[in-house]
Amino acid sequence: MDSNASGIQEPFDLIRLSLSERVFVKLRGDREVVGILHAYDGHMNLILSDVEETIMIVDPIEGSPNSEGTVKVAKRKMNMLFVRGDGVILVSPPSRT
Amino acid sequence: MDEDSPPPPPPNEASPPPPPVAVSGSPTDFLKGVVGKRVIVRLTSGVDYRGILSCLDGYMNIALEQTEEHVNGSVTNRYGDAFIRGNNVLYISAAEPL
Repeated sequence: MDSNASGIQEPFDLIRLSLSERVFVKLRGDREVVGILHAYDGHMNLILSDVEETIMIVDPIEGSPNSEGTVKVAKRKMNMLFVRGDGVILVSPPSRT
Repeated sequence: MDEDSPPPPPPNEASPPPPPVAVSGSPTDFLKGVVGKRVIVRLTSGVDYRGILSCLDGYMNIALEQTEEHVNGSVTNRYGDAFIRGNNVLYISAAEPL
């Protein structure tokens, strides 16, 4: 039935195929992490290793009508990280060919 | 035809309510129909993801291919594949004829 070229039948297959790979994770609160995916569950709780977190901090310019402001980027590294699933917005595996 | 009273008289015989529109189908039918098609997924944050819908599940978790992330009308990221956690989804819009 599912003549899907990528062989994915449900969204979690995308995550399962990314185990032991470096994944990009977009989180709530303007945060992103990149790390090697070791484990996940149905909540999208994640275990990542060798992680770099990127935090975008937007300072709105006072008097500016636009919502544009200066964006500061902070980075930090962690050896091992548990990500609670409800903070996850998007997970992108490495590009498969 | 040429009656003058503004409110039309209600029909006395019990007529079944007409279907709302010509295109029939449940939300599930729509979602089944857009699998494999180009879609626009809007998140509650206002960010749009445009790509080909690989599949989705009952939580509305979504797998997209050839995904472009659009913020304020400009492309901010591209992903070969993307898993979107369903709780963030506001709507899924078909971006090509079904």
